[in-house]
Amino acid sequence: MAEEAKQEGTQAEEQGDAKIVEAGKVSSWLTENGFEHESLEKDHSGVEVLKVDREFLLPFATALYAYGFNYLACQAAYDTGPGGDLVSTYHLLKLSDNADRPDEVRLKVFLPREDPKVPSVYWIWKAADWQERESYDMYGIVYEGHPNLKRLLMNEDWVGWPLRKDYISPDFYELQDAY
Amino acid sequence: MAMIETKTEPMVLNMGPHHPSMHGVLRLIVTLDGEDVIDCEPVIGYLHRGMEKIAENRTNTMYVPYVSRWDYAEGMFNEAITVNAPEKLADIPVPRRASYIRVIMLELNRIANHLLWLGPFMADVGAQTPFFYIFREREMIYDLWEAVSGYRMVNNNYFRIGGVAADLPYGWVDKCEDFCDYFLPKVDEYERLITDNPIFRRRVEGVGTIGREDAINWGLSGPMLRASGVKWDLRKVDHYECYDDFDWEVQWETAGDCFARYLVRIREMRESVKIVRQALKGLPGGPFENLEAKRVAEGPKSEWAKNPDYQFIGKKIAPTFKIPKGEHYVRVESGKGELGIYIIGDDSVFPWRWKIRAADFNNLQVLPYLLRGVKVADIVAILGSIDVIMGSVDR
Repeated sequence: MAEEAKQEGTQAEEQGDAKIVEAGKVSSWLTENGFEHESLEKDHSGVEVLKVDREFLLPFATALYAYGFNYLACQAAYDTGPGGDLVSTYHLLKLSDNADRPDEVRLKVFLPREDPKVPSVYWIWKAADWQERESYDMYGIVYEGHPNLKRLLMNEDWVGWPLRKDYISPDFYELQDAY
Repeated sequence: MAMIETKTEPMVLNMGPHHPSMHGVLRLIVTLDGEDVIDCEPVIGYLHRGMEKIAENRTNTMYVPYVSRWDYAEGMFNEAITVNAPEKLADIPVPRRASYIRVIMLELNRIANHLLWLGPFMADVGAQTPFFYIFREREMIYDLWEAVSGYRMVNNNYFRIGGVAADLPYGWVDKCEDFCDYFLPKVDEYERLITDNPIFRRRVEGVGTIGREDAINWGLSGPMLRASGVKWDLRKVDHYECYDDFDWEVQWETAGDCFARYLVRIREMRESVKIVRQALKGLPGGPFENLEAKRVAEGPKSEWAKNPDYQFIGKKIAPTFKIPKGEHYVRVESGKGELGIYIIGDDSVFPWRWKIRAADFNNLQVLPYLLRGVKVADIVAILGSIDVIMGSVDR
């Protein structure tokens, strides 16, 4: 703990800029072990958010799994806006008996809209199975290596990615416009 | 590929989506070798209504009525998490009385949910009678809700950012205590009827077993996880609402089979009654009759009218309440497990992203893993033990 605190202190001194985010516990551990990444601002409940390149997602996820993050609570995706990046997020936590506010961390992988491909974490956390399929279904993010990547909630022949911000619902009109 | 014992072609059998024991519109494509299940593929989405998309152009007040249709057996949990997400993002305090009322509603809902699990599950394993008993008890809970919110099963529309929509009506606390007195012996009655029934025991013991490591890795939660030997309950882990004020135990089992899940749920109903009783006793301000009388006697300037602890809602938020910029993931322990919302606010009245992490969606994905190698008659027993409501799986 003391070492980590010291390291955080020195980092903050070096940066000397209020806008740069201080590395949290998980982030420092990763940096110590040679996993380069970028820390984003902590979220509102104080959970660390780490930005990971898609090439390094699997080594990162494996390292975090070995570090004790054994539970993938929530895999989600979101769209940063029309023309912007798509994001695949992974909310991890350390699940144990009688836990009391265990460590949590969220990984974010930013993917270009034209080529939204990211490796699947199914082989590390089986919990990703349907959650990744849902993200594929709603955002068209291709999870490479997923054993059964096909539409989950929408029809198999559905065209388009419904939760993207530039999606236009087919055959939709306001009832008041029909007369 | 498994060896085909019958030396014939494997048979592909379609179950559902319209099938009495599929718990709604779930379709299973099962590959059989005689009586043995080789593989199973669940097909879902028949009840998909795009709840996440709908959330993106509804303010919170507009959206709360929708959410009890996610998991229509536990509408209160859905409403709770729907208000918790923006409430915590905006750091809006909740009065203690409101928090107690919320806990009472949530625990009543946990009982209602486990009851509605018990009946169909018993019907799945061939015992139809408990179905009628559980509805008898569940009606009482719905009567209580009707008194408090005007509606019974779904569309309670009771939770609000910063509290609840209305105070408990006159005499409600007494009625709820009556329910607790009435209900606890009924759980013993169920147990006498079911737990040591030899047919039931042979039907569920050792069936659908999942170990501790697998349960964690598959992202199971709630009774599914606790029946596999993990002592994990978000009410204890996250310390949300006022659960710390009450004396209760996390119920868990180590066997990881259908019977263990049954035991966990039965005991959780008892724990819920314990919590409800304590919450009724400790309700800040006491029953509404008391508050009303004190307010009349001591006037609007008195502590009884002013003290924020005695309010059922804090400062009422405007209909144009803007969800502040930021994001986080909030969750509650619902009857089925971890129900979470990943919300991204954009300083707008609508959320930018509203991801619903449904408990039974994540619990159901383990089904093919559990079904491989079992007999075809165990399919419905295992599916029943997972506790799924398709409205929540498909959202």
